[in-house]
Amino acid sequence: MNSRIGLVAKREFVVTVTSKGFLIGLLIMPALALLFFALVPRILGGSTPQIRGDVEVIDGTGQLIGDLRAALAPAAITARAVANARGSGAPTPPRAPPELALLERPRDVSVEQEKNWLTAGTKEQPRIALIVIHPDAVERSGGNGDFGGYDLYVANGVNDATESVIYDSVRQALVTTRLRAKGLEVPAIESAMRVPRPNAIVVSAGRQTERHGFSRALPFICGLLLFLGVITGGQTLMTSTVEEKSNRVVEVLLAAVSPLDLMWGKLLGQLGVGLVVMGVYVGLGLLGLSQFRMLSQVDPQLVVFLFAFYLVTYLMFGSLMLSVGAAVNQIADAQSLMGPIMLLLLTPYILAPIIGQAPNSTFSVVVSFIPPVNTFAMMARLASDTPPPIWQALLTIVVGLAGAAVCVWFAARIFRISLLLHGKPPNLATLIRWARMS
Amino acid sequence: MEAALEVTGVTKTFGSTRAVDELNLVVPRGATYGLIGPSGAGKTTAIRMIMSILFPDRGTLTVLGKKSALEAKDRIGYLPEERGVYRRMRVNAFLRYLAALKGVPTAEADARAHVLLEKLGLPDVAKKKCEDLSKGMLQRVQFVGAIINRPDLLILDEPFSGLDPVSVRVLRDLIAEEQKRGATILFSTHVMANAEELCQQIVMIHKGRKVLDDPMSGLRRQFDTRRILLDPLDPAADLGALRTIAGVEHIKANGEGCEITLAANTQPGEMIRAVASLVAPARIEFARVRLEDVFIRLVSGTAGTDESAQALRTHLQGLGAEGAVA
Repeated sequence: MNSRIGLVAKREFVVTVTSKGFLIGLLIMPALALLFFALVPRILGGSTPQIRGDVEVIDGTGQLIGDLRAALAPAAITARAVANARGSGAPTPPRAPPELALLERPRDVSVEQEKNWLTAGTKEQPRIALIVIHPDAVERSGGNGDFGGYDLYVANGVNDATESVIYDSVRQALVTTRLRAKGLEVPAIESAMRVPRPNAIVVSAGRQTERHGFSRALPFICGLLLFLGVITGGQTLMTSTVEEKSNRVVEVLLAAVSPLDLMWGKLLGQLGVGLVVMGVYVGLGLLGLSQFRMLSQVDPQLVVFLFAFYLVTYLMFGSLMLSVGAAVNQIADAQSLMGPIMLLLLTPYILAPIIGQAPNSTFSVVVSFIPPVNTFAMMARLASDTPPPIWQALLTIVVGLAGAAVCVWFAARIFRISLLLHGKPPNLATLIRWARMS
Repeated sequence: MEAALEVTGVTKTFGSTRAVDELNLVVPRGATYGLIGPSGAGKTTAIRMIMSILFPDRGTLTVLGKKSALEAKDRIGYLPEERGVYRRMRVNAFLRYLAALKGVPTAEADARAHVLLEKLGLPDVAKKKCEDLSKGMLQRVQFVGAIINRPDLLILDEPFSGLDPVSVRVLRDLIAEEQKRGATILFSTHVMANAEELCQQIVMIHKGRKVLDDPMSGLRRQFDTRRILLDPLDPAADLGALRTIAGVEHIKANGEGCEITLAANTQPGEMIRAVASLVAPARIEFARVRLEDVFIRLVSGTAGTDESAQALRTHLQGLGAEGAVA
């Protein structure tokens, strides 16, 4: 490599990675992840108000009250919350046990009058809900095929969590009572309904992998890493070029290096910056996985491809961002030109769910060979449970390199012609005209 | 002897504007050339093409025997008109970086920077950040950056622009030192006084075309002003008496003295003696040829010139005090 390119690259790299902004930006992602996984559940749990207060029920069936009392018991509510959280995969936020007092009212009482009861609660003794069970809620009346339901009235200020607990409790009580009324054995039915859901084991030639939450998230994580590496290097590349241009230091540099050397030096310097970002995040990720004995979930080949795809993607997007930096005089002018580039960078996130559902569909395969989104698409496919053959991944790199060559060619022409131009910022059409005329 | 710089038929057009038009120029090694002309004449474009920052539409360039300045950048020093620094970089790091780009080892760069900064009256700025320096100090630092590689060819684009009188003098001395060291110097300016003082050869550019390429000494002979500058010993002396001397065409009051224009075919020596015998002088001398006069005389004869002579003169005098007072 030309020594001047090396010098420019070294300066670009050192100045960026030793800046406070870079260090803060680099650490903020792991810090946020730590906050999310370690602190947020505690904070959420701590801040969730206790479910507490009186609930009145007018039982039109005369059969429900016992089961409703059981369903509103603190232990039953907590058990349901744990079961629901397990089903959604979200951590169960710790919470103080609920304290709900069930007050039964006669069937012939006026509902309108009882609504007034609801408004007379105090802070110490809140009144939170009035449940009116319809008379046909347990046994169908006449030839009607549907069961009756219930009406729920809640006090002003009752939150969604409390409301959900009441809904769940009434539902559970109604189902239990209805089954018993039919002479069915409720515990046996509940037991028969319970089927644990196992993690699928994906069997492919020579290996078996268990599909679980992490393996489903892996394509997204890889795409995010690729995006972070490219955006960090590319954005810094653009801002440093704008700064050199507006500082008028660029002509001093051009006295010592050719425009092409300067461009390559800057591109390579920020390539290194992106590699540091990726290296830190991948390293921390692998360290985290090893702590949970999940390191085997990541195929080492995937990491190699991640870095290879980064190089290709960075050259494509980095050179485009560099040309934007060279074309404008201040960061604000760059926004309109950055729009299409950002749109291209975000396109993979629109495509990701489609690719995730069918990694080897015709659509997924075709997108893997269309620059500049091909690397993102292939990364998602490689990280899926049914990765494509290696030759496809290698072809993605070859096609990506061809795309990168076009982008670098375009950037070089813009860079050369626009570095010393000041004045009205160009639009996309002007950039294309410059590329054709230079 | 091989020329340091050869420019042959170079033309550069931006849109419909021809910035440089068929420029031919040969600068011998060791010479000091002044590229002069008003702002917008095409000086900076010509220099950028010489530096291979811009590329000509037509014509060829040879720089220090190479086909392009790109092949000889280590041997060229360049101070552009629009010069800047990395504001958050320290002065020594900035100079070290520029030196490294020109192939100067770090230790040598540090030693040279130390000596040059001291010469320019900036002994304590090496560890300061560029953003902490005044504009004048920064310009001196930038000049150090241009000569830190001890260039064979030094190209200075408006080197005195924006400098205070003291800095102008310091810079002139350093340029003279570079001259003595044997460097070929090409500098552009629109302040004619600077060119008069430093240059052996003057190249005038107007609207992209070369209108003059002559040695300074030749210009003095060719454009003889036939004017005598007189400051009388007695400020109250009767200058009107000078009109009685045969051969005096015009007398113009000028501060405390006057400027006497002589008719053609007069003998300058005799005229000096005649003037001195009538009014005792505190100072009496022939006015030296001024490049702005030469320039105006040349471009006034060019077809299609629409500037008024006075507007040009104001421009060429450096738009007020810029650099001309030193």
